[in-house]
Amino acid sequence: MPERRTRDRNPGQVTQERPTTDLSDEELNAYILTRLRAAGVDLGVLPEDDPDAPADRRRILASARRFLRATPPAIRGFAPDVQEVPPAMYPAAWSPALGREG
Amino acid sequence: MSRSAPERVAPPTDRLVDRRLFLERMAALTAAVTTGGALAPPTAEAAVRTTFGGVRGRALLPDSRGVQESEPWRLTVAEAAALIRDGKLSPVELLDAHLARIARLDGLLMAFNTVTEELARDAARRLADAEWSGPLHGIPLAIKDNYYTAGVRTTANSHIYADFVPDFDATAWARLRDAVAVLLGKTQMGPLATSRATTHDGENTTVNAWAPHDPSVSPGGSSSGSATSVAAGLACSSTGTQTGGSITNPSSAQGLTGLKPTMGRVALHGIIPLTYTRDHPGPLARDARDAAIMLQAMAGPDPADPRTLGLPPVPDYLRAAEPVERSGRIQLRWPTTIGVPPGYTEVAETRERGPGGAGARGGRGAAMSEEEREKRRRIFQERARAEAEARKKMLSTFQDLGARVVEIELPEEWEVLTSWNFNNVRLPERSEPFLDVLRRDVRLFGVSLSPWINGLLLPGAEYLRGQRAKLLLLRRVLEGVFSQCDVVAQTSPIPFDMIGLPLMAFPIGFESSRGFVLPMAGLFGGMPYAEDRLISVVAAFQAATDFHRRRPPLSEAAEPGGSEGVGAGEAPGGGEGVGRGEAAGGGEAPGAGEIPGGGEIPGARDRGRMDVWDIMLEGQ
Repeated sequence: MPERRTRDRNPGQVTQERPTTDLSDEELNAYILTRLRAAGVDLGVLPEDDPDAPADRRRILASARRFLRATPPAIRGFAPDVQEVPPAMYPAAWSPALGREG
Repeated sequence: MSRSAPERVAPPTDRLVDRRLFLERMAALTAAVTTGGALAPPTAEAAVRTTFGGVRGRALLPDSRGVQESEPWRLTVAEAAALIRDGKLSPVELLDAHLARIARLDGLLMAFNTVTEELARDAARRLADAEWSGPLHGIPLAIKDNYYTAGVRTTANSHIYADFVPDFDATAWARLRDAVAVLLGKTQMGPLATSRATTHDGENTTVNAWAPHDPSVSPGGSSSGSATSVAAGLACSSTGTQTGGSITNPSSAQGLTGLKPTMGRVALHGIIPLTYTRDHPGPLARDARDAAIMLQAMAGPDPADPRTLGLPPVPDYLRAAEPVERSGRIQLRWPTTIGVPPGYTEVAETRERGPGGAGARGGRGAAMSEEEREKRRRIFQERARAEAEARKKMLSTFQDLGARVVEIELPEEWEVLTSWNFNNVRLPERSEPFLDVLRRDVRLFGVSLSPWINGLLLPGAEYLRGQRAKLLLLRRVLEGVFSQCDVVAQTSPIPFDMIGLPLMAFPIGFESSRGFVLPMAGLFGGMPYAEDRLISVVAAFQAATDFHRRRPPLSEAAEPGGSEGVGAGEAPGGGEGVGRGEAAGGGEAPGAGEIPGGGEIPGARDRGRMDVWDIMLEGQ
């Protein structure tokens, strides 16, 4: 196993404690609806604003805006060392244990 | 009780796994993943047959002469198996007891989507005449309704699968079936394994067996019906799936022992996906030994799920569930250091979330009055105090059992790497398998739609960076946390769910902040494939305590007008004991550590609604 370099001890860093975006609601709505339309997903079948419906466009868009303002910026603001930290989809699925099966 | 000397006991699996080599292997694996070579999704029925993991369990079941329960539905799997093995109970009698219980109580509890009565009777009659073949011989099980069951409707509580009848069994159920367990029925769940069990429109269905007339007390989710069926004595044991707490949360909420295995230990083939890289099948059981019996059957390689291949051999979980006795005292099977994060035994601070809480901005829930807010705060604080005391007693019990308890330092950037935003990295995986459905009609997702939409909005670059963060978190857990301890106490399932490591929830006490008795739970995490270690630790605790043996006081609940009958003082041992882990939480991510509901206590016919804000605020 190669010796770890000092910088590997702290390959990630947070550049934004409270990620925000300055995009307006209108700009985010336009992005959301365009992305969904490009994917062939139509929110138009939902009621515009109906508190009794399981879902309506107002609430779905509000949730999507909240997600976009928080999650992508937070992830972008975290910068791991790309040489040392590969993207792992199944972190615990494989093992070099002494015994094997299967 | 085994009297083996400690040095003669075979080591747990975590002693066979080198944590550094594990990480090296991960890096190599990732290269294969990102080039698309290693992980094609399963397309064919698993050609898997089990012989109960090679463990027959005869020697490790209790002596049937010591089984005192007179009502079969009260028996643990191990107790029922011992009686069946010795010819003192037939699978037909055991099934009849549970069917009678379902007939009497499930109208109130709503634990099942489907009860396969005729199929179960046929199977039990066949098995009554057959040679005893192991601990699951003739044991009636409730199976979560996202496990494929050949010829039996499998809906995942979603309109998308409303009429779906699979033509093969999920591997995990097939293994239980091959161990000659009996399919009793399919259980209610949060729609597509999100949230507590509700209808498509968000109407609450399954209730908590400890509070059947107060639907605001969450049964835990998303494996809600699986938990309620076992807690209420409608099934001997059950299966669940966990992506963000969906086995351990309902187990905690209902006084059960729930085990979420390491990713890959139990095959996912034939289970309706929620988040393919984070979905874990596992058991909800009455105690650690039952969880061991269930996992022994469910675990193992499956050619249809590459994540199950090349792993350490499945160990003898039944043996792990046997505490040892030294000098006349029950002791942990293996020397174990329990890690405790900072603040674990301190009283948690009040948090307000959900409809009407500090973060609420609209939706279907009515605004919460100041009086209601205060009531909720009082309940939270009272429960938090009880949990803090319970955790202290739990740790003291473990020290009496020979454990070393140490306060650990959490790894660098723990808060960031386990945060809501990094947890959201899973959402594109939720959207991808349902792209065609999303394009067809988003209304098919009902109240659960929001996270499926949000999953379409996370760009690929951020998704991939989130995967890097998962490996970094795994590295820090393996090199940091597990350099200090063998198992670690957790207050949320999310970190270990993110990186696929095993978790076990178990009851550690009761509290009565709402005026009636509710369970409290501990939650321990382990190293990769260390299910045997977790089972051994919880089994020893249960050999020294009786929280796991208490049952909800349901005797009056099914009677007309009996809604006042389930209350403080009726449950045995309420208020005593140890506590912690998760509060009676919501579902896949929703609700861990939160107080569910609040408000007026509605009657059994008014179960309330899962507001879309619950999904938006908690279910992502």
